[in-house]
Amino acid sequence: MTEYLYYLLLGLGAAFCAYRAMISKHLLPSTLYLACVSALASVTLYLLGAQEVAVIELSVGAGLVTVLLVYVLSVVGDDNLDPTSIIPKPLAFVLVATISILVGWMAFPLITTPSTSNEVMLAQVLWKHRALDVWVQVALIFSGVLGVLGLLSEKEHKIETQNESIPVAAELKKESHV
Amino acid sequence: MAAILIGFVIGIPWLGALILWRTNDENPRLQHTLAVAFSIAAGFSSLALIFFSSAQTAVDIPMGAFFGSLTFTPDGLAVSLTAIACVIGSLAVVFSVDYMKGEAQLSRYYTFVLLFIGAMAGLVLSGSLLFMFFFWEITALCSYALISFYNDDPKAVAGGIKALIITQVGGVGLLAGALITYSTLGTYQVSDLLESAGTIPANVLAFIAFGFLIAAAAKSAQFPFHTWLPDAMEAPTPISALIHAATMVNAGVYLLARFYPAFVQVPGWALSVTIVGLVSALITAFMALTATDLKRALAYSTVSQLGYMVYAIGVGGFFASQFHLLSHAVFKALLFLAAGAVIHAAGTRDMRRMGALGKQMPFVRNVFVLGALALAGLPILSGFWSKELILEVGLADGPIWAYVGMLLGAGMTAFYTLRITWLVFFGEARESLHVHDAGFAMKVSLGLLAAGTLSTWLLAGSFSGLFHATLPFHSIHELSTLELTEEIFFAPATYIALTVVCLGLGIFWMVRKQAAARKEAQFDILSRESFGFDWLNRQVTSITFKFASVLQETQTGKLNWNVVGILGALLVVLVFLLWSA
Amino acid sequence: MNFDPLNAVLIGVVLLLAVGFYGLLITRNLIKIVLVLQVLVKAVVIALVLAGKDSGNLGLGQSIAATVIVADTVVAVVALALAVQVRIRIGTLDLSKISSLRG
Repeated sequence: MTEYLYYLLLGLGAAFCAYRAMISKHLLPSTLYLACVSALASVTLYLLGAQEVAVIELSVGAGLVTVLLVYVLSVVGDDNLDPTSIIPKPLAFVLVATISILVGWMAFPLITTPSTSNEVMLAQVLWKHRALDVWVQVALIFSGVLGVLGLLSEKEHKIETQNESIPVAAELKKESHV
Repeated sequence: MAAILIGFVIGIPWLGALILWRTNDENPRLQHTLAVAFSIAAGFSSLALIFFSSAQTAVDIPMGAFFGSLTFTPDGLAVSLTAIACVIGSLAVVFSVDYMKGEAQLSRYYTFVLLFIGAMAGLVLSGSLLFMFFFWEITALCSYALISFYNDDPKAVAGGIKALIITQVGGVGLLAGALITYSTLGTYQVSDLLESAGTIPANVLAFIAFGFLIAAAAKSAQFPFHTWLPDAMEAPTPISALIHAATMVNAGVYLLARFYPAFVQVPGWALSVTIVGLVSALITAFMALTATDLKRALAYSTVSQLGYMVYAIGVGGFFASQFHLLSHAVFKALLFLAAGAVIHAAGTRDMRRMGALGKQMPFVRNVFVLGALALAGLPILSGFWSKELILEVGLADGPIWAYVGMLLGAGMTAFYTLRITWLVFFGEARESLHVHDAGFAMKVSLGLLAAGTLSTWLLAGSFSGLFHATLPFHSIHELSTLELTEEIFFAPATYIALTVVCLGLGIFWMVRKQAAARKEAQFDILSRESFGFDWLNRQVTSITFKFASVLQETQTGKLNWNVVGILGALLVVLVFLLWSA
Repeated sequence: MNFDPLNAVLIGVVLLLAVGFYGLLITRNLIKIVLVLQVLVKAVVIALVLAGKDSGNLGLGQSIAATVIVADTVVAVVALALAVQVRIRIGTLDLSKISSLRG
């Protein structure tokens, strides 16, 4: 029962932080709330027994992504723009509520099967069973890094030739109004 | 040792591709030299690999329990096709030195050629369906990139995209077959599939078998997917030779040959293969009768000859089909490269504008005639032996109507082969084209291929011995070359076929005067349009486009609305799941 | 009411999903979209581990969750770099103004 309460509190806390992150007018607080979500999710994972993933989640989700977001905000500046949404809010609410209720309906209640004795460890799953796609993931990370480097280097190039880029932007704006 | 050589035949071309990718187009001499060096090294490694062939898996790299191992098996089928890919590929590269002289963007050209050769070697050597699919897709990518090499020519781009889309349809068949295999047997290994095909439920095996048949038909440009190969003629000619003889189209026949023992028990499969081969051979032979574009005529003949190989597999002549693949690879590469020399010199592909070119380019004429005689199936050239072998098997084990059809095809082959040769090299000159004989690099590769056309049939005995020793599932009898020649000489089928071939030659000889000046009849237009199949292709694309432009209305370009669409779909799925539960 | 602790985790997952979906629907700021996607992925990661735990195969669940985190981080990084580019070239992060997605 206490365990149930812990989990419930963690889940509600994460959802609340996520909600705050979503509705916050400024991006910096949003980022901090996201880090909170990540931390709470990480604790949940830890309690569920997934220590390794909890560590990854905490370091990547709460650490790396937050740092990245803050860095990006420092580059583009905090726009604090969040005008009214395009979608009518009632429609959005009804859609999301229906989906959540249906998902809940399908998932509840969980009937837990007792843990099998021949449970395999994470490292074994990764390196013995899924070797190929772990390598693919490594390649994925590298290509992601290369892509970001390309994009950022393009940025510096663009800043030098900002005058050229303005007509392009104006054109794009014109197109978007058509 | 075999493992090292396998590493060489795949690794050397790919390393070469990597290096050539980084070279500068300002220095074409270096690029030519590097490409020739890497491709010839791969060619020699592939020849050396033949001596280390065995049925055992030579390379086994574990990829985790879920994916199985990345295995390479140098059995007879694999090493012979590897040798064809690497040796003929390297000859095409040597030819390119003259043909592509002065062209821009050689780095892109050679990169894809070498990637292509390496991928083909990997495809046939791979012992795992998953990686076979991987290499399969790389060959599709390379063929697309090379067919569209002249990317400022809209016809070339269209041809490349057509090839890519049609072979992708085939790729889906292969992937589906591989995944079904994994879900029933729990393994991607080819040898496991061949070994325990009997334990797979009949209907599941039928799915795998017909999935692979679709893959093979699309890759080898067989009916009803035969429309892409003629349009692929927009590529530079060495690429046509590469696609037609060394790589690409052989992959489909390879796939059928490789899995024949597993699928022969599926009811209707062998018959379907026979029919696919028969229809492709006949339809494209008809088209070749009236084609006026030199390269298109040769392309039709490739599809037709591939039809013979597919037919041979359908009637159970595994060895005959592979033997014909070998002969065809050599003489078709010869024909294409010789045609390339003609086109390079004359500057046109229209046979009606050529004529009497033989006097000006005697060397090319001689080798082309040699290749043409082999294609027509005249003794004692390589094409004769293999085609007779196919027809003999067809008469013995296949349905008689199919045999008659293939016989007719042989006659038509003789007719159009003579027609091509006559229109290009003999007769009277219709336009005063000033041509020069082939350059040195061209002569080297043409000479080697001509020697091959004369002599590859002598290898038939060792070829069958190789198959017998290393293919445990195919049950092939070992025959010496002498026994084989005796068998062919004493078979009545040979004389029937030779009569038909002579008939075809004779008929053309009588109409040769009209061959160049003929007006286009309804029939020509029909055959140029692949008897309605091009129309069908266009209908499919236009319907797709129309459908897409209707759907385009739903694209507002606003991310939020897209998300509404996604969530709506999720809602539908959830309701459906709850409904059915 | 079933007080199996895993059900409480499930409540959290569904709530996170709901917030994430709602955010994707109403947010117009490009960077915030990336942020909301992160929320969705947290829900998915917990759900995967939960499924692993529930079916007695935690190792597998964890390994797939790790893959999801890797993929998602790459997505976030690339998306943020793109957002920077969009901001610099077009001058706004408002989704309704960058509608060159229109086909």
